[in-house]
Amino acid sequence: MKPLLFRLALLLLPCSGLTAAERPYVNDKKAPEDRKDVDFIQAALTKALPQARAATVCIEVGEGSGTGVIVNAEGLVLTAAHVSSAVGKKVTVVMEDGTKHQAETLGLVADTDAAMIRITDKGDWPHVEIDRDSSVRLGDWVFALGHSGGFDKERGSVVRLGRIVRMANSTYQSDCTLIGGDSGGPLFDLTGRLVAIHSRVGQQLQVNMHVPMSEYVKHWDGMLKSEFIGEGPFAKKPVKGNGFLGLATEARDGGGLRVTKVGSKSPAETAGVKEGDVLLKLNGNALTTREQLQNLLKEMSAGDELKLEIERKGKPQTLTFNLGER
Amino acid sequence: MNAEPRRLFVLPLTIALLAMAGSVSAQQSLESNFRTTGPGVVQVFEAQRAVLQTSSAVILDGRKEAGYGVVVSPEGHVLAKASEVSSLGKPAITIDRTKYENAVILATDPAWDVALMKVEAQGLTPVVYAPTSEVPQGTWVVANGATTRTARRAMAGIISAKSREIPASGGAALGVVLKADSKKLVIDEVSEKSGAKEAGLMKGDVITTIDDKPVKKIEDIAAALKDRKAGTIARIGYTRGKEQRSADVRLAAKSEMFSEMMSRNDMMSGDFSKRRSGFPRIIQHDILGSSTTVGGPLLDLEGRCLGMNIARANRSESYAIPVEELKEIAERLIKQAASAPAPAAGDAGSPQ
Repeated sequence: MKPLLFRLALLLLPCSGLTAAERPYVNDKKAPEDRKDVDFIQAALTKALPQARAATVCIEVGEGSGTGVIVNAEGLVLTAAHVSSAVGKKVTVVMEDGTKHQAETLGLVADTDAAMIRITDKGDWPHVEIDRDSSVRLGDWVFALGHSGGFDKERGSVVRLGRIVRMANSTYQSDCTLIGGDSGGPLFDLTGRLVAIHSRVGQQLQVNMHVPMSEYVKHWDGMLKSEFIGEGPFAKKPVKGNGFLGLATEARDGGGLRVTKVGSKSPAETAGVKEGDVLLKLNGNALTTREQLQNLLKEMSAGDELKLEIERKGKPQTLTFNLGER
Repeated sequence: MNAEPRRLFVLPLTIALLAMAGSVSAQQSLESNFRTTGPGVVQVFEAQRAVLQTSSAVILDGRKEAGYGVVVSPEGHVLAKASEVSSLGKPAITIDRTKYENAVILATDPAWDVALMKVEAQGLTPVVYAPTSEVPQGTWVVANGATTRTARRAMAGIISAKSREIPASGGAALGVVLKADSKKLVIDEVSEKSGAKEAGLMKGDVITTIDDKPVKKIEDIAAALKDRKAGTIARIGYTRGKEQRSADVRLAAKSEMFSEMMSRNDMMSGDFSKRRSGFPRIIQHDILGSSTTVGGPLLDLEGRCLGMNIARANRSESYAIPVEELKEIAERLIKQAASAPAPAAGDAGSPQ
């Protein structure tokens, strides 16, 4: 009988490997009791870390930087709303090895700090699984990754070990200490599943807050459809017509608008628009009258990107910049 | 560290967390005893704590703790963080349950910010060095936490990033201010805590060469020192009156000499180390004490010394000197101290 039993065991092993989400037993202890428990945590963490790290990215938004994590092979990234900050914005994603990829922000939830980004470059992206069933419990061991203080290739993203110390409806608190730059980064359980996204901290080192996966699951489809969901402190809802360009123009015979004045320190001046330039097209629309330019701007909001095709001393040029806030 | 300075998305501070807690119904909270740094969790590291008890040192500034140290010889040699202990005079040091009075600093290594201290003792238990500091990220490490008069406490964490150099923040400098609108490089002021001061440069001296190359303008000095690291030596030729002289000047990190601006990340980082950059190589971990909990050994689960804690850098990063370099520093400083004229050793050694 013995050989048979042995064979059975062999068959069972690959199966048990498949249920990777099996709950680590140390989570059901109040604290690790002996060397075996401590070794278990270390073994689980070092096993989960390479994939978790490969999927963790730095997100560069304008002048700022935060963190995010890739959750499918097509390059869907979860981050915090205060990192993506707007819908439909171009951002750059930096992989652990420093390679950069183009991405765009999808939807966000302004009152709980959840957001999605999609890498627009083609690729088969390293990614992690998410904890769809909210299986994480109070006291569970977790680890945080993030580009603390900004991207540093020599250092890589920083890993921190801790426990879930507080759970509320739309927030988890852990004792993995977070700092600026970690925003939007991933919190994993010991099996390497994504359980939450870093959101905010308290002055005390023990107060580190994360947005649980349930919040993402709840608003998944809306975020995928690039919706701006909720009102709240983490992202400002765009207001149509509050964009500011900082130009005075007059119609030119033969089409286009001649710039008669550039506002001091205005977005237009910063982007390099000069008096005497002729504006030909805004985001592909040929410009003919001042009213038409105003109507186009009324449909845009502060922070929106605009592409301005101009003519300077007979030569065409293209300027790309963002609208300021009126 | 970053080529281009970027604004960080500083995590918003949670204000009135307690008020929030009251309004949420499904609130659960883990008692502090079982949080990662809580006594209920840390007790599993008793074997490593026992090593800290005998092989780490507590450096005292009166009744306060000024820092920790690594016991590196049975005869009372202790390594500590130089910038935290150098101003203490002859502090007392506690090792295990014994308090040794009048410790002296025998030698320092400014590049690593390490001081070799000595108490009159025998039969101490030095740390056992780990064979390598190259352990995987996620490996447990244990270090000194708050201590009592007789007992060391442990804190635990993990190796959390790649080992690397931490370049001096703001670069390295001689530490002199030159007279404006002068055709020569006339020193107008010598900064405190600078290598120039240590080497004896004075107001009125005229700098003529750096590393035997002539310098005529401020730009020449900047060019000569551009890629130099803090802790390295520059040979400065200068004239004092009519006399041509030269001196070996240690280049100090600018952050050592001048106080840095606090960034928003610094403001949320609690009590971090003043000197936290300009280290040739470090290993990084996530044990967060305060500026006075550095200097002690970083242990692996076998109780072996993986390195020496050298900086609590910010809210998420702590640095330790790797064991390979630590061993070399200990041997070199002990040798250097043995060949130097003996300092006025304290009439110490009377255990209390």
